[in-house]
Amino acid sequence: MKRRGLIAAFALLTGMGAAQAEPIRIGAILPLTGPGALIGTQQMRGIQFAIDQANEKGGIRGEKIEVIFEDNQAKPDQSILSLNKLVDLQHLQVIFTAYSGPSLAMAPLATRKKILLINAGAQADKLATASPYLINTLPTIGGEIAVLSKYLAAEGKKKGVVLFENDAAGISGRDDYLDAFPKAGGTIEAQEPTQFGQTDFRPALLKLADAKPEVMLVSITAGLKNMAQQYKQLGLGFTVAGTTFFQDPEVVADPGSEGFIHTQVRIDAPPEVAAEFQKRFNTGMEFFVRQYYNATQMLLTTIDRMIEEKQPLTGENVRAEIFKIKKFQGLIPLEFNSNTATVPIDINKMTGGKDVTVKQMSSD
Amino acid sequence: MLALQLLFNGLVTGCALGVVAVTFSLVYSTTKLFHVAHAGIFTLSGYIAWSLSRQGVPFILAMAAAVAASAAAGAAIQAWLYARLERKNATHLVILIASLGTLAVMQNIIAAVYTPNILQFSLPWAGEVVAAGGKVRLTAIQVVIALASLAVYGGLMWFAHRTILGKQMRAVASNPFLAEITRLRPRRVHVLVMAIASAAVAVPGVLQPVDLGLQPYNGTTPLLTATIAMIAGGVGSITGAFVLAVVIAELQNMSLLFIPGEWSIGVTFFIFVVFMLFRPTGLFAAAR
Repeated sequence: MKRRGLIAAFALLTGMGAAQAEPIRIGAILPLTGPGALIGTQQMRGIQFAIDQANEKGGIRGEKIEVIFEDNQAKPDQSILSLNKLVDLQHLQVIFTAYSGPSLAMAPLATRKKILLINAGAQADKLATASPYLINTLPTIGGEIAVLSKYLAAEGKKKGVVLFENDAAGISGRDDYLDAFPKAGGTIEAQEPTQFGQTDFRPALLKLADAKPEVMLVSITAGLKNMAQQYKQLGLGFTVAGTTFFQDPEVVADPGSEGFIHTQVRIDAPPEVAAEFQKRFNTGMEFFVRQYYNATQMLLTTIDRMIEEKQPLTGENVRAEIFKIKKFQGLIPLEFNSNTATVPIDINKMTGGKDVTVKQMSSD
Repeated sequence: MLALQLLFNGLVTGCALGVVAVTFSLVYSTTKLFHVAHAGIFTLSGYIAWSLSRQGVPFILAMAAAVAASAAAGAAIQAWLYARLERKNATHLVILIASLGTLAVMQNIIAAVYTPNILQFSLPWAGEVVAAGGKVRLTAIQVVIALASLAVYGGLMWFAHRTILGKQMRAVASNPFLAEITRLRPRRVHVLVMAIASAAVAVPGVLQPVDLGLQPYNGTTPLLTATIAMIAGGVGSITGAFVLAVVIAELQNMSLLFIPGEWSIGVTFFIFVVFMLFRPTGLFAAAR
């Protein structure tokens, strides 16, 4: 009884709950409509699934958890409005976020208001240093490329060329290759841009092939299947390498992608958890469901510890507690040496229409 | 090897663009309308063939249906939109805006129905590599695109110069008032030209996505190239539009031998700006 009283007092102090009966509330600003809605819905389900499971077990030390979702349509301006609403009106202290643009837009506000943002979906390099109050539970693209570069160099693939999309994301990936690949002992012999949405990669592939590379490092977000098919049609022999975005079932199944190598953030759900999710939501436990489920588990573990330690649940305290706990074991092990967690990364090779793990590594 | 492969790739792309340019030129020279919704017909034809192909309709029949549907769509745009606006004395600028609006509506409907994702035909034969001599590698569909486009170009040349309707079309293009007086019924000719141009553009409209995939906004870039090819080739010249489209595609491909890819489009069009300064009526203007 005394403990519950303390919890109530702490909730009253922090605004996380107005009275003892009030649940602990957290927020999530996700794209629930618009072009990002497919991914945003997966992320929402991942959070909800973890919260529902915790509440069904009686909550966190008897306290129910509630999540308030806000739809930002993956737009930075809408995200700012949503953040102000959740913080100023609802007095929330911890908020899940997704997508690089919205997360980067909210980061300065999070710093000023000392609100903790948890990102489990976006991978832009700037997210790593955008705010001390922005925690990333998956590596940045730069982190993945550093791992990939080390693997390729160790495999003797040291003469590289870069195919990149001529936009912010593609150029950022190219810059990561230009930085990481030479550091790993390789050289970049040539680079060729493509336009977003372009599906004729033949001229760029031919020009890169002329540099006689051992590996082509890829930073494109659309048209990967077309690129794979044209690579095969042109009879190019060099290795093709990329990051997690290579993991498109259609690309993996296409004969053109045979031998493609890519990094893959490892996050598997145990069969019983996946089956339970399937039963509740009538859909598979996709990558982003698993990511946000895992991140929510991390947060619930942290809240549990804070209640035990009778700490007010402020964004500042949650952040400090995450670094204090440092290692979390959810669907995957997370270790926080910086704002961006160190996580296991697999090196996968597309073989016979399947994506086969050939080596297990870890992000820095 | 690189130069030769780029040359052949440019030729394939150029032939497909050539048909877009020729058909766009046919419509413009006859109706004097800047029919930008032609890009929408180009895109629509691919989606029609894709839908039928997915339902199990043999590809050749799906393509024939797409060609027929495109002809109907083109004729409908002319009869129900452009002609109606002309009857109300709308200026060509107003009709251009109506055409732009039609293109936007078509693209948005396609994106809403099919999603903006890249869709691909499931035709295993299309990706088979056909050796074109030496180390040049072309796929079966690339060869089909080049041959079909050349056939369409030849067919349109024959139509324009050897058929009565073709001659009527050229007469209407040359002097619409005289054509009206001599009972050539220009409005009927306009509808027929639009139907024929739309049917012809459906050939690369279906074949090119078999090679490169379908996207709702696929048609815009070919139309831009086609417009430049039509003007630089000499307005009204079928051969001029076709040849210039091939030249533009070749320049874009071959320039990669000397400059990075991001400069390719800019340099190509800069060459055309300079060219137009010296020959503003276009390369084949005298051949009209």
